[in-house]
Amino acid sequence: MAALRNKSDQEIKDLLNEYGIKHGPLVDTTRPLYEKKLKEAMAKAKVPVTKPSPDRTFYREDQEEVTYVTYQTPVRSEGPSGDGKPYMRSRPEYSERDRVDDKPYSRSRPEYSERDRVDDKLYSRSRPEYSSGRPYVDEPHVYNTLSSSSYSKPTPVVKSGGGVVKKENTTSSGRLIPLWIQFLVFLILAGFLYFIFTNMESAESSPFNRIQ
Amino acid sequence: MSTTSQKHRDFVAEPMGDKPVTALSGIGEVLGKKLEEQGFDRAFVVLGQYLLLRKDGELFTEWLKDTSGANTRNATSCSQCLREWCDAFL
Repeated sequence: MAALRNKSDQEIKDLLNEYGIKHGPLVDTTRPLYEKKLKEAMAKAKVPVTKPSPDRTFYREDQEEVTYVTYQTPVRSEGPSGDGKPYMRSRPEYSERDRVDDKPYSRSRPEYSERDRVDDKLYSRSRPEYSSGRPYVDEPHVYNTLSSSSYSKPTPVVKSGGGVVKKENTTSSGRLIPLWIQFLVFLILAGFLYFIFTNMESAESSPFNRIQ
Repeated sequence: MSTTSQKHRDFVAEPMGDKPVTALSGIGEVLGKKLEEQGFDRAFVVLGQYLLLRKDGELFTEWLKDTSGANTRNATSCSQCLREWCDAFL
């Protein structure tokens, strides 16, 4: 592999095509350049195998998954009817967290996992609590509809309960905050700004009235 | 407002003929000498190299940096100069 110099022109061309490097005719003047490009391409091709960062991201996913797993297993043992619970429970408690900790979103997840272990048995009680607390919650409107739908359809959630959760993990592997929460916050912010804006306008119009 | 130099505009304005390699935008005396040592004593020879590399600006820039020790700015400038010349006359 290191003996690029000794390869024939045809072999170099084949290698260039293999790595998908666009090239022109292989001549004396162009050959050193293509050899260099091949070296870089070969080095790049080897690197991902030994790179630790993919492992790191994988580990993070793993971590997230682990929290979910520890969360689910005690609940699953409760009974088949509770199968839909883990998925739903995670959501409601998360929105509770949402209300309380508006800003430190990044913390909400680990806090959330801690609480789950504590409220392991209280879950059956927290359900009616949550349902009563639902109207109380003004902001996570979207989230409520989601949870209500998940309540009404426990079975599809159950079947892929683990799978859906895992899917959530894998899809949101790059995000600490789920996308829908980001959208929600953005909408709230936009609405708030609009509210201020409209108020400002009315304030401006009043001086005119007074003068005239 | 073009960001090209006067040298660039002069080169691109007419067929290069037998102009020396230092007539290329981005190629000064030092780089010109290095290229001449390598056998690229006229602008059209460098053009030949550019064409051999299938008029790929990136490849040409890389080649120029390797061959003459040019920095990125000069190499890119030369590459752009040749590209425009080709667009006009090739």
